[in-house]
Order: sequence, then structure tokens, then C-alpha cells
Amino acid sequence: MPNWLLLLPIGVPWLGCIGVWMVGDRRPKFQHSLAVFFSVLSAGAGLMLIPYSTQRLTLMLPLGGVFDDFRLATDGLGVFLAVVATVIGSLAVIFSVDYMHGEHSLGRYYAFVLFFIGSMVGLVLTTSLLWMFVFWELTALCSYALIAFHNDDPKAVRGGIKALIMTQFGGLGLLFGALLLYTYTGSYEINSFLSNPGVLPASVLNWMAFGFLIAAAAKSAQFPFQTWLPDAMEAPTPISALIHAATMVNAGVYLLARFYPAFEAVPGWKLAVMIVGMLSALLAALMALVAFDLKRVLAYSTVSQLGFMVYAVGAGGVFASQFHLMSHSVFKALLFLGAGAVIHALGTRDMREMGGLGKRMPFTRTVFILGALALAGLPIFNGFWSKELILEIGLGHGNPSWIAALMILSAGLTAAYTLRMVILVFYGQARRDHHVHDAGNAMKTALFPLAVGSLSTWLLLGPFYQALKTSLPFHKFEFDETWLHMAESVHSTIGMTLEVGLEVLRQPFTYIVLLVVILGGVSWLGRKRLSVLIATFKGVEQAAQSAFGFDAINDAIVKSVQKTGEALRVTQTGYLAWNVLAVLLGWLVVLILTLLGRIG
Amino acid sequence: MNYPDGIIVALTILGLVGIGIYAIIVSRNLIKIVVGMQIMVKGVLLAFVLAGRVSGNIGLGQSLALTVIVVDTIVAVVALALTVQVHKRFGSLDPQALTTLRR
Repeated sequence: MPNWLLLLPIGVPWLGCIGVWMVGDRRPKFQHSLAVFFSVLSAGAGLMLIPYSTQRLTLMLPLGGVFDDFRLATDGLGVFLAVVATVIGSLAVIFSVDYMHGEHSLGRYYAFVLFFIGSMVGLVLTTSLLWMFVFWELTALCSYALIAFHNDDPKAVRGGIKALIMTQFGGLGLLFGALLLYTYTGSYEINSFLSNPGVLPASVLNWMAFGFLIAAAAKSAQFPFQTWLPDAMEAPTPISALIHAATMVNAGVYLLARFYPAFEAVPGWKLAVMIVGMLSALLAALMALVAFDLKRVLAYSTVSQLGFMVYAVGAGGVFASQFHLMSHSVFKALLFLGAGAVIHALGTRDMREMGGLGKRMPFTRTVFILGALALAGLPIFNGFWSKELILEIGLGHGNPSWIAALMILSAGLTAAYTLRMVILVFYGQARRDHHVHDAGNAMKTALFPLAVGSLSTWLLLGPFYQALKTSLPFHKFEFDETWLHMAESVHSTIGMTLEVGLEVLRQPFTYIVLLVVILGGVSWLGRKRLSVLIATFKGVEQAAQSAFGFDAINDAIVKSVQKTGEALRVTQTGYLAWNVLAVLLGWLVVLILTLLGRIG
Repeated sequence: MNYPDGIIVALTILGLVGIGIYAIIVSRNLIKIVVGMQIMVKGVLLAFVLAGRVSGNIGLGQSLALTVIVVDTIVAVVALALTVQVHKRFGSLDPQALTTLRR
């Protein structure tokens, strides 16, 4: 068994990280090519894992003790996300060659991107909860460093710190979960926990379930932590595409899906997950409808689509959520990179200054519209199939139908803001005279595969379902009876895709959703006629523009930390005598605690 | 060494360490602080020997004590050398006068 293969997709980008750093900023051309080389190599290493998505390949580096052994293992879920991280990572790096041309500090930029790719792969492949926490925090660190990449811009630095603060909530939840698990079982092994969640007392399991929900919500920018993602848009656009659309923000959904078998039975957990997803999907879609910053619209739309995935997990559709995750990674990376090409050409992100760009950037327009159609959920595109599956799960299977109705409304809103975005950017009269050029060659190289992917990744439904089915023994998947029956009748995984596709098309429910989606688009076109209706929602619009007031959470944390710091300054006297006394008192406390432990 | 002797040694240890810490906390003279540290370390030495005796590892306790003696000598030498430098630069031996960070 070539189990050292598992180290490649982590090790190769990390090696590249060191390499690019060592080259130094005086040779930018060499840096570009080195980064592309290592990222493509890691994409190859990621793709090499695909055959092992159905069979288990494990690697253990013994470290022992409370730090747990460094364990990696493949299964359908982990390999799939590792492939997404490495492949989209390499495309983002290729895109950066044009986008970051002439920027300074390229070493820092590429080093963190490559470090991120490796950490993300580690996060999804490890089977130890403690190491998962370590990688989780490494990705948060890279995200912070790259949001604040333009560190002479106070807005970027503030956005980075905000993202770091918010995602720390998630990290803490995960760490507490890991320590609880270790306290009760003496191991951090995820799979043995999933096979028997009953090893934890019910009350502890409840704490863990809701702690992990908070962790996932913070990482995936879900309600009520959704405010950090729009502010993270100060990052260079390839970073937004890679970290804040395709990979890192999916870690929360991944966490929920991975631990679903353990928390499924916790009372109220599934409902809470559904409500968090629904609120995020709905509120973020409303905010996307009124924002004018192109990247912020895309960020809100990411929050909204992640809401769909979280909702799907709560509704019991683990497969549907992961399938939408795949579609979303592809089309949202495409949209972000397309937006990056526009922003790079124009030098502004404000959609009010764009317009009429379609004729002058035909390639960008074409691929962007492909991504937009997938986002809106129109047939043939991958977004259509995965969103249909999510909504189908939500309506039946004992899930509350009012939440499902609101999700369908969000799907309609998605179509409306997507259409608004495309029209504002590419059609109408040019609202300002720009000297515009279409995307460069490196940009095209990155955009083209993603555009093809938006059209075709849904064909992987059958193989993906089979891989998850065979490699995740503790999960129970939706559509089991009907789909497995289909798979048996056609004897091939691709055939299964077509069968499932036909099944979706046979459902009358599909057409209702499609109607809502089209209505959403039409309502944006006919907004002048609907002005009376819109006027009644003026309050909602203003609330949406001010992010519904959830920035207060971040502000409160920053203020309280500053206040505590000021208050604690008194203790830093700088006098030797006081410090020695404090050391002595601390030592006494430890001594007393030890003695108490002996007696008790 | 029977049991009451052990108690006496333990009390001596407490006394030495206590005197040393007291000297470090209250004195405003770097040389006195070094002296206080030396007294404290002598208590620690005795503690090693006693612990070796009580646990039956006499050799281990003694060798650790020997190590501490060597380390402690070096600490005293370096600390006194620094004290001389401090007096040259700041013209004072008061540790509170050394702060350049405070407003």
C-alpha cells in the first residue's frame, strides 16, 4: 500500500510554500512559475487520491500522548474535498499570475496560498479530532493573512482581524469538543466516536452537538456570524475565489456532514441546523439584492448558498449538501475569478461604475454568464441538479414545510440578484469610460476549466454517491432505496446519474421551483412595475444594507477585549518584587490544586 | 536519619527558601537579591538531598544536588557581573530604576 501518497497533497504545497518564500521578491517571474508548478503538482497529487475514495488508505505517524498520533485516512468525503482544494487552488494560483502581476510581496502571497492548500487537505483527510482542530486553525490563519494582504490598507487589516475573531468562535467550539471526547474516551479518533456516539453521556453529546453547530456557523459565515465574509472581500480576488468561496468556508458544512451520524439523534439539533441554514440563505439573498459592490454581492451569495448546504444537512440530506458543495465550489470560483478579471480591467468593484462591458470583454462575459446560470439554478447547469436535490429533501421526509417554503423563496431571490448582477456589469450603457481589456491568457486558462465544470460536474453524481456510500459506514444517506435500486438496474455509476436526472425531471415539484426561480428573475426585470410592492419593503432594504445589525457582535467583542486589556494594565507594574510575589502565589495555587487532586 | 530528624531538615528547607524569597521580594539592592537567591537555592539543595533520602534514591538526590551547585555558581557569577554593568550604566543598584519602558 503506497500510503505515503497521502502525505503528498499536504507536503507538496507546503514545500512550495517554503520554496517561493526562499526565492525572494526580487525575482517575481521565478516566483510566479514556481508557485504554478507546485500548485499544479499538488493538484496532481490530489487527483491521485481519487481511486482511494472507495477504499480506505491510512497513514499513522505516532506521536503519542495527549497530542495524539498524526493520522490520515481517505474516504469519499475527505478525498472529494481534498481534490476540490488542490484543483481549484491550482486554478486560483494560475489566475494570480495575471491578477497579481506587478504587485509587491509576491513571496508572502504565494507562500500563504500554498500553505493554505496543504492545510485544507490536512483538515479534510485527518481522522483525529485534535489534528482537525490544528488544521482548522491553520486555515483560519492563512485566511487572516491573505485578507489583510494589502496591509497598508486599514480596511483590509480590519477585515482580516474581524474574520480571525469570528472564526475563533468556531475553533474554540471544536477544541472543546475534542477535549470532551478525549476526557470520556481517551482518544481523539473520529470514526470510533461515530460508530458509537453513546460513549458520551447524553448531556455531553448535546453540548458537543450545539458547540459544533456554532463552530460550523462561524467558519461557514452562517447566521449570526455571517458578517465577516463580506468584509473579507478586501482580499485579492483569487483568494476570495479559493478560500472564501470554494474551500475554507465549506469546512463548516464538512464538519456538520462528517459528524451527522453522531448528532442526528440529539433532540432539536436538526431543527436548529435547518433554521440556521434557512436564515442565512434568506437574509444573505436579501442583502445581495441591494449591495453595489460586485464582490460583496458574490460574498452574500456565498453565505446564501452555504445556507442551502447547512439546511440540507439539517434536513437529513448529507449527500445533497455535499453535492451542492461540489457544484458551488466550481461555479462560485468561476464567478469570483470572472469578477476578478472585470475588477482587474477596471480597477473598481462598484457595479454602478460598470455596465456595457459585455462587448469589450466577450470571453469574460460568456464564462461569467455560465456561472451565473448555474448559481441561479437553471437546468443543465450543475447548480440546478444539486439545488433541486436539497429542496426535494427539505419538502418531504418529515421536515417542516414552512422552512422549505422559505428556502424556495431564497432560490427565487437568488435568481433575482444574479440577473441584477449580470445586467449591471455586462449590459446597458457604459456608465463610465474605462480603458478595458479582456482577460489575459493565464486568466483564461483558469476560467475555462471552471466554465466547463459548471456545465458538467453534475455528471459525477453517480460515482460520487457510490464513493460516499461505500466509504462512510456510519452515515445513512437519503434516497437510499430508490437510488440503489436504480444503480442496480443500470449497472454503472454514470448510468445512475442519468436515471437520477430523469427522476428529478419527473417530479412536478421541480417545475414549481423552476417557476419560482424564473419568477425571481422576471421580478427584477419588472421592478418598475412592482415599485408599489417594493416601496413597502423599503425598511427591509435599509436593514439589509446595514447587514441587519449583526456587526454588533464583532464590535462588542473588540470593545470588551480592549476594555479588559486596559483594566489588566494595572497588573503590569514592571516591579520585580510584585512579579516574584505573583510567581510565588501562582506556584502556591498549583501546589494546593495538586494536593486537592491527591486527596480527592 | 530517623523521622524527627527529617522533620527538622524539612523545617530548615522551608526556613531557607522563605528567607530567600523574602529577601528577593523586599530588597531594593541587586546584590542583596543575588544573596537572597543563593540562600533560596541552598534550601533547594537540601530539599533534593532529603527527597533522595526519603524515596530511597540517595544517589539520584545527591547527583541532582551536585548539578544544582554547579548551575547555581554560574548563575551567581553572571548575575553579579550584570550587577556591576548595571551600576556602571545606571549609577544605581535599585531594580526599579532599571525600567526604561514605563512612562
